[in-house]
Amino acid sequence: MASRYDRAITVFSPDGHLFQVEYAQEAVKKGSTAVGIRGTNIVVLGVEKKSVAKLQDERTVRKICALDDHVCMAFAVFTIFIGLTADARVVINRARVQCQSHKLTVEDPVTVEYITRFIATLKQKYTQSNGRRPFGISALIVGFDDDGIPRLYQTDPSGTYHAWKANAIGRSAKTVREFLEKNYTEDAIADDNEAIKLAIRALLEVVQSGGRNIELAIIKRNQPLKMFSAKEIELQVTEIEKEKEEAEKKKSKKSA
Amino acid sequence: MAATFFGEVVKAPCRAGTEEEEEEEEEGRRETPEDREVRRQLARKREVRLLRRQTKTSLEVSLLEKYPCSKFIIAIGNNAVAFLSSFVMNSGVWEEVGFAKLWNEWCRTTDTTHLSPAEAFCIFYHLKSNPSVILCQCSCYVAEDQQYQWLEKVFGSCTRKNTQVTILTCRHVTDYKTSESTGSLPAPFLKALKTQNFKDPACCSLLEQPNIVHDLPAAVLSYCQVWKIPAILYLCYTDVMKLDLITVEAFKPILSSRSLKSLVKNIPQSTEILKKLMTTNEVQSNIYT
Repeated sequence: MASRYDRAITVFSPDGHLFQVEYAQEAVKKGSTAVGIRGTNIVVLGVEKKSVAKLQDERTVRKICALDDHVCMAFAVFTIFIGLTADARVVINRARVQCQSHKLTVEDPVTVEYITRFIATLKQKYTQSNGRRPFGISALIVGFDDDGIPRLYQTDPSGTYHAWKANAIGRSAKTVREFLEKNYTEDAIADDNEAIKLAIRALLEVVQSGGRNIELAIIKRNQPLKMFSAKEIELQVTEIEKEKEEAEKKKSKKSA
Repeated sequence: MAATFFGEVVKAPCRAGTEEEEEEEEEGRRETPEDREVRRQLARKREVRLLRRQTKTSLEVSLLEKYPCSKFIIAIGNNAVAFLSSFVMNSGVWEEVGFAKLWNEWCRTTDTTHLSPAEAFCIFYHLKSNPSVILCQCSCYVAEDQQYQWLEKVFGSCTRKNTQVTILTCRHVTDYKTSESTGSLPAPFLKALKTQNFKDPACCSLLEQPNIVHDLPAAVLSYCQVWKIPAILYLCYTDVMKLDLITVEAFKPILSSRSLKSLVKNIPQSTEILKKLMTTNEVQSNIYT
């Protein structure tokens, strides 16, 4: 049945599926894993960095991009045919223009929810147009609003968006989300460092070669985005491994 | 023929067959010697050969006739192969007894005579300490017309009642037919399908209808069912088809099965070996970020 109703984006199947949109969601899973955590005073974005070709300039392969001075987005991308990186680039550009346009028009920076809604509306338009395909990207959008409250939103190819306390997108997102559900506690995220460690631990569940392949960024209230260097990430990973060892020692002592 | 809403023409299936066209076809169908030659060459190109590594000579009889076994474990696909490499092959010394050489359109190389082992391969091993255990690591695609040849060369055509066959393979979760949406499935997950003569319990739930098995795993299972060989297929439905840590670890429940329990010794070390396998450089495709 699927093959009859998945040719054109604007056709519903008899049981109510928009197959192109669902296939677009499959394409997201071809991208790397990204995780976002909303702490009490911090938002953390982590993404798996896969190795680049030898001759490729690594600086041009950035996944965490700024939309505005205080709103930041990490994409896990996918595609149905071609160009998920390309889809991401197109949407980021539109969102950036929208942020500036908003600032000039109403003299206020965008709220995280506003720009998320803009991106989600854009994505939805492409699920309802003839001759176009949905964007093959899911996005995690984080930032602080003027009221000082941290926000984390997630959008998907269908154009829906929701606020989350912590979420993951991309390859093996389910595994990471389950880890977060088990380990996200109010205590864990009250401390900034703990929130950072939680993000790294969540990624280490699925990243196949440790800290070297993780890109991490944080925003603290009233501070600009901070990208972690490879050294800083390694430090965190070492601390996490130490804590793991100590926890295991305690366990074996208890059982003995 | 039917036109869709957008004017594209779709061929509708016709149950009437092509009776009117048969007479015309007869005349065109007479084979010329060139046709026969082309067909012969194609058959030669697509021949499946089972060879010994050192001597590169073909095995005279089928593999299981030459090396009778009580346990035959076959891994098909890169994730299944990685699972056996890290969990089974590192506990004990395995000796290669032969490899299958075949070519089809799926092979990346056009050279049919020099397939390097780094590319798709199909290698058979037996355990030195217990030669009645045979392992097959198959990461090449065996086309439909080659599956029968493969079965003949490996199993031969006589029944082996004391052999137990275990097959491991992966499939994309979107092939799994269920009333739930694929987004809510706990991928990766394991399903089993067994022949009538397999009496042991499976390590996971059985594959429900209307799901079917495809390709070489299906061919092996069908063969075993016909020849009354106890066989079980463990199928991992995953959403990451390339080599992936979580997909490979989804096979872990099989380690408690009767056929694998005695073969696996060092699980923590296996996980380390698996991690190392994963880091063989998978350069990021620029399409997906």
